Parts: sequence; C-alpha cells; structure tokens
Amino acid sequence: MDFIVNLASGFMGLFTLGGEQFMSWVTGIIPTILMLLVLMNAIIALAGQERVNTLATICTGNPILRYAVLPFVSAFMLGNPMALSMGKFMPEFYKPCYYASATYHCHTNSGIFPHINASEIFIYLGIANGITQLGLDTTPLAIRYLLVGLVCNFISGWSTEFTTKLVEKQQGVRLSRELKAKA
Amino acid sequence: MAEYRSIKVEKGSGGFGGPLIITPTEKRNKVMFITGGGAEPECLAKIIELTGLIPVNGFQTNCPEDELALVIIDCGGTLRCGIYPKKRIPTINTNPVGKSGPMAQFITEDIYVSGVTSAQISPADGSEAPAAAAAPAEEAKSVKFTADKKVSETLAAQQNKSIVTKIGLAAGKFVATFNQAARDAVQTCITTLLPFMAFVSMLIGIINGSGFGDAFASLLTPLAGNIVGLVILGIICSIPGLSALLGPGAVIAQIVGTLVGAEIGKGNIAPQLALPALFAINTQGACDFIPVGLGLAEAETETVEVGVVSVMYSRFLTGWLRVLIAYAASFGLYAA
Repeated sequence: MDFIVNLASGFMGLFTLGGEQFMSWVTGIIPTILMLLVLMNAIIALAGQERVNTLATICTGNPILRYAVLPFVSAFMLGNPMALSMGKFMPEFYKPCYYASATYHCHTNSGIFPHINASEIFIYLGIANGITQLGLDTTPLAIRYLLVGLVCNFISGWSTEFTTKLVEKQQGVRLSRELKAKA
Repeated sequence: MAEYRSIKVEKGSGGFGGPLIITPTEKRNKVMFITGGGAEPECLAKIIELTGLIPVNGFQTNCPEDELALVIIDCGGTLRCGIYPKKRIPTINTNPVGKSGPMAQFITEDIYVSGVTSAQISPADGSEAPAAAAAPAEEAKSVKFTADKKVSETLAAQQNKSIVTKIGLAAGKFVATFNQAARDAVQTCITTLLPFMAFVSMLIGIINGSGFGDAFASLLTPLAGNIVGLVILGIICSIPGLSALLGPGAVIAQIVGTLVGAEIGKGNIAPQLALPALFAINTQGACDFIPVGLGLAEAETETVEVGVVSVMYSRFLTGWLRVLIAYAASFGLYAA
C-alpha cells in the first residue's frame, strides 16, 4: 500500500514541480514581454511596412547594408518570419545569403526585443533565466548577444556568398546576380 | 455614371484580410462610408474615381442594403467592423483592425480588409493605378458633386475637415492602433508563448522530479561548461542534414537552452559562458526553414535548390566561429 501511495505522490510531484515552474514564468516573464510587445506592435503599425520596403531597395547595394543593416531593421520591424520576405528585393544569387543572415538576426536581437521571435524566445530566455537565478541583471547579456550577433550574422551572411558559389559549381547552375526588373 | 469598373483592395500596413475584388453592378452601385462622424475617408476619392460608385454618407442618410457594393468604416474593433461582414457586404476598415469585437467570427478575409489607404486600391484588371494621385482625386470630387443628387445631404462630406475633426480622427487612429497592438500582443502570448511555457514546464517538472535532469546535466555540463565543449556543441548542431532535423520550432534548442540556464543558475556553469552558449545551441538556426524562407523572398526554384545546400554549408562553416567570437566578447561579462 505504501508503495502505491509513494508512487502516486511521486507522480503528482512531477506535475507540481512543472506547475511551479510554469507559474514563475507566467508571473515573471509574461507581463514584461506583453508590455514590450504592445509597444513594438504599435510602432510597427505606425511606421508601416512601406517605409521598410523603400529601405530594402536601397540596402541591396553592398554587403554591410545587405547582411547587417537590412536584416537588422527587417527583423526589428517585421519579426520572424516576415523579415525573410525582404529578400525579394535582392538578385537571386543573394537570396540564400540574406536568408542566412536574417534568420540569425531573428534570434540574436530577441534578447532586447522579444517581439521579434516570441515563439522561439526560450533559446535566449532559458539561458537568461540562469543569470536571473544568480541574482544578476540580464541586460548586459542581451546587449552583448545583439552586438556579437550583428558581427557574426554579417559574417554568416557574407560567407554564404562563397558557399553559394561552391554549390553553384556542384550543381552546375548559375544564379542571376542582377535584380530582375519585375513588379 | 453608368460605367462601373472593378477594383482590387489590399490590406494596408498592419491590416488584415483581403485582397477584395469589388465589382459594382447596376443595382449594387453605392459605397457607404461611416467614418469619423461623417468626414470622408482618405481612400474614398480614389475608390469613386476608379469604380464609378456613388458615395453615401452613412452618418447622414441610409441606403438599402441590397444597393451597397461596399462599406467603408473606421472602426477601432468593436461592433461596426463586424456588422457589414455579417451581412456579407464587402467592408473596408481604414484602421488596421483584425478579427475582433463581438462579431469577430464574421470578419473573414473574403469579405473584410483593413488598414486601407488609397495606396492599397488598384483597378482589378491589373493595370497600374494612376501615378499622379492628386489630380484624379480632384476630378473625383467634381464627380461627387453630381452624384450628390442621389444622396441626401452630404454636407459633412463636402466640407474640408475642420481642425476638431482632424484631431478627433488622429486620436481615434492612435488609440485604435495601440488597442490593436495590445490585442495582437495578447494573442501572441496566448497562442505561442503560454503553450510553449506549459509544454516546457511540464518537461522540466518531469526531468527535474525524476532525477533525469541530474543525469542529463552531468552529460551536458562538461560540454556546455567550457569553451571547447561549446565549440563542439556548435559544430554538432550545425552538421549539414542534422541541422535541418534539429530546427523545427527551435524546440530542441529551447530545451537545451533551458537546461543550460538551469545549470548556470545552480552555479555549475560560469555565467560568463551564457553568451557563447547562446550561439552554440543555435548554430542550426532555421536550417529546417530554408525553402519556406526563400519562398517568402520569392526565390526561384533553382535558387531554392542551391540555397538549401548553401545555407547548411555556411552554417557549418561559420557555426564554430560564432561561438568563438561570442567567447571572445564574453570577457568581463558578469566578472565578479
């Protein structure tokens, strides 16, 4: 009998632990993120996507604009995954490179701007929670995450130009380097 | 006014629904606007010019429903934005409001479009909208005067908007935008954040309660606890092919992140390593999503074929480098 009781209480214990974890997240994380999300959504709605589009057409010219500025702004304004749609302003050859950079931007900036990638926020939050548990402020981590991300995402995007060339040779195709003039 | 043309209305910035094709007929030849206490919405002139519809000011008069081809509203998300979709009359909302209010279930993409300005309106036959928007707008005004016979008094529509109206409209738009932003934010929390929290919480409860967590941590800590291990973790996560399997929903990365965080919290892993760890657990980032993401960028089939392989290669090529850069940048972080 004792065995059954122990088993049952042990079983329930697992879910009590889970519930406690859940409550601490809901009360600790949700309120702040919610307020941030409201403000960010409003800013995005007020600024409008057209302005981002205009910027995008300007930004295809050189690597720094292409892999650091444009994906950063797109991620901030459009979030994941719509930021990836800005790749349509690029010539075909640069689309995979832009993708490589923009997808990372949707992560590295999410420490400070959780609205960018709310559904995958736990990559950052999971680790940041540990910092919080130690009684330390997570802001320095979030800022460094963003800054290092900016550099690394640029490298990732740019180096994809080389891998794309490599794969082009492997598959025997050549993607257009020019932007097609189509609506 | 016998000639009617179809227009296409797309959703504007932050908007919802559409694109709608509005096709006036002999019977359905009126557009009713119920906006800003009787002031003309900005998009009205263009709609009239393109379609030949007769404008009706809903605040001043009424109109049989079976004569309405279109209704324009500026509802902030309560009753009005659902009422005409419910009657299956195509509805344009000039505020960027989605499904909301007591009639939310009637607001569907085939009958409702929001956030609309004149920029979202174009002729349905695909020809480009006139580039000079200013001139047609004036013409439209004169057309409207003749049309006035059929409408009872549209004094409010003819007058230039007074300052009071302008302020009122701006304040209304401001409030509606923030209200919608809050609605979207709560929706995001409910549909994506809370379920994931519940899911991970349950896993964590089981993992910690059963003692599996300690076992897993003893496996993970040596890997995540020093920079060599983190680089190895980063390389493993970015192996082409494996990276695509680790990707979906970033679930695995999020769970590993939570576990590493727990170890940091316990003091088993130095807080300084949080930064390189963030990069190490995510080197596979979005490898599962390449075709969809490139599709969003309107890439051609060839580009997708090349891109899938190319992005995986580049992840593998730069993944470990990202961890090292992050490690280099982590000095001084949380230094006691």
